[in-house]
Amino acid sequence: MQLNVNGVSRAVSSPPLTSLLEVLREELAVLSPKHGCEQGGCGACTVLVDGEPRRSCLLPLAAVGDARITTVEGLGAPGDLAPVQSAFHDRYAAQCGYCTSGMLLAAHALIERKGGPVDRDEVLDALSGHVCRCTGYVKIVEAVMAASRGQVGAEPIEQPLAPEPSQPEIEIAGSPA
Amino acid sequence: MKAVGARLPRYDGVAHVTARSVYVDDVRVPGTLVAKALRSPHHHAAIKRIDTARAKRLSGVRGVVTHEDVPNNVYGHLEALGIPADEPLLAENDVRYRGQPIAAVAAEDSDTALEALDAIEIEYEERPALFDMRNALDPDAPRMHHWGGVYPHFGPHNHRRVRKGDVEWAFDQADVIVEGVYRPQAIEHCPLETQVALVVPEAGGRLTIYSCTQAMYFSLGVVAAHLEVPLNRLKFVGGTVGGGFGGKVDTASETIAALLALKSRRPVKWRWTREEEFLASSTRAPWHIEIADAVTSDGWVLGRRTVTLHDSGAYARFSPYGVTKHAFHHTGAYTIPNLRFDGFVVFTNRVPTTAMRGFGVTSVSMAVELHMTRIAEVLGISPWELRLKNANRIGDTTANRVAMQDPSTVPVTLAAAERVGEKLGPEYAAMTADRRSGDLLPEHLVAQQAPEGAHVLGNGGGS
Repeated sequence: MQLNVNGVSRAVSSPPLTSLLEVLREELAVLSPKHGCEQGGCGACTVLVDGEPRRSCLLPLAAVGDARITTVEGLGAPGDLAPVQSAFHDRYAAQCGYCTSGMLLAAHALIERKGGPVDRDEVLDALSGHVCRCTGYVKIVEAVMAASRGQVGAEPIEQPLAPEPSQPEIEIAGSPA
Repeated sequence: MKAVGARLPRYDGVAHVTARSVYVDDVRVPGTLVAKALRSPHHHAAIKRIDTARAKRLSGVRGVVTHEDVPNNVYGHLEALGIPADEPLLAENDVRYRGQPIAAVAAEDSDTALEALDAIEIEYEERPALFDMRNALDPDAPRMHHWGGVYPHFGPHNHRRVRKGDVEWAFDQADVIVEGVYRPQAIEHCPLETQVALVVPEAGGRLTIYSCTQAMYFSLGVVAAHLEVPLNRLKFVGGTVGGGFGGKVDTASETIAALLALKSRRPVKWRWTREEEFLASSTRAPWHIEIADAVTSDGWVLGRRTVTLHDSGAYARFSPYGVTKHAFHHTGAYTIPNLRFDGFVVFTNRVPTTAMRGFGVTSVSMAVELHMTRIAEVLGISPWELRLKNANRIGDTTANRVAMQDPSTVPVTLAAAERVGEKLGPEYAAMTADRRSGDLLPEHLVAQQAPEGAHVLGNGGGS
């Protein structure tokens, strides 16, 4: 069968129940989707199917049909970054980088859907199925908000978009605070 | 000095956001075989028989290895530091935790590798297992390690000791004795990238090892020691790690993949499943920490007795080092002059535990801070002022007698108080990290002070 990956029609011969993740990585060498948990829990294998974020580890090849698959390779390349890629780079939103592909695609889909500035709750909702074990969520959320506002470029904006809490958000009984 | 204070782009930032960063699983070498491991289904058992004959005959299987194939099967992670070896690469006579590798196969594809694992016959004789470290020294506890219930090689002792000052005097003088038990639990590092290695036999006889390790030269040494090859036979490629957090300090996947590559003469990739990562990869240790402090009613901590159990799991790995760091930090940010610390590295039938962010220190820091607050509650005084009074000062000495040069307890505590709007008494608000004097140098803190300019207090014949 043929698979439409990043605008290019590719011939594939994997059996129909092979996961899209396996087909992309092992047959087509499209390496941005990662093996994280292979059970739909971490988001590292996320790709866009007709513009919607999907877990490629849970999606059998047969279910993809002639849908358009978009991976990070189709978003932008070095020297020609998509806004969401620029914002992640400017704002240090990638730490180890392993969750980054999935985060970028989910964020890109949100921004495309919204067509304008997204707020913090919308970002949290869109990224809720994505685990960053380096726990760099603050910078990721800021990057997505900045990308949706077109605030990208070589000069990072110093002012954080999230207000700094003046009081501890969580009080623990017995703690000195 | 253009870089100091500037915001510099990450050198790997563009590669990360364009998915050009090459993690081990992204390396493509034609003809690479898939590795899978047979792991113990039991927490504790004797191995009576291993038969791999049927697995070796399967079509598509290119290599099967057991302990018989490892040139030097038992090697310790810290053998180079004088900590003797206790852990086999592949289990031989015993399995001591569920998930311990016994055999491994390399095959043309994943399904064939899994079929080969099913074809390996192993006869076990199950033994009682030990999970609660508090029972490890009971006379009727299951004997699960040839060294006994605890790691026994701390110089002449079977545990890490600190002896400083006169702890008996402190407890005689105390107005109140405040006791507490603290039990931080095991934590799985859970990196998104599971343990993974790719080993490629090169034409000249070298092995190229693509590794997710956090500790490249350390892993180089471990693989070379198990395989009994000189270091220059191994070329390690790494540096791009999909999360580690301490869990990729242990050499987890490289050695067995290398063994299979040598056996099959083919490139071999071994990527652990998420299930394997949770079942068999190391965790942060669980601890059992008991603290008793001799305290005066006006808030001086005169002395501390501590007993710590560090759950090492089935093998020693880095735990003797972890409990030593724990010992050095067991007074935390505070100066307590009279100490008796006994820290045991305890064996249980859990996965071996290892480094994780602040190895050995975060556990005791949590206990110390909770304990300071408990003391303040018992005495009915401000937890801030209790901390500031006993805070480390320049010239005070740590549990292991190192003199403080630049202790941060006072400025950090004052900054925290300001941040949350805590009003402190004027004598506390004016405190600095300067050397103790006047009311802050009571008789009991004189002897622990290092002479001005000294880096270490003379060893009083203690630890």
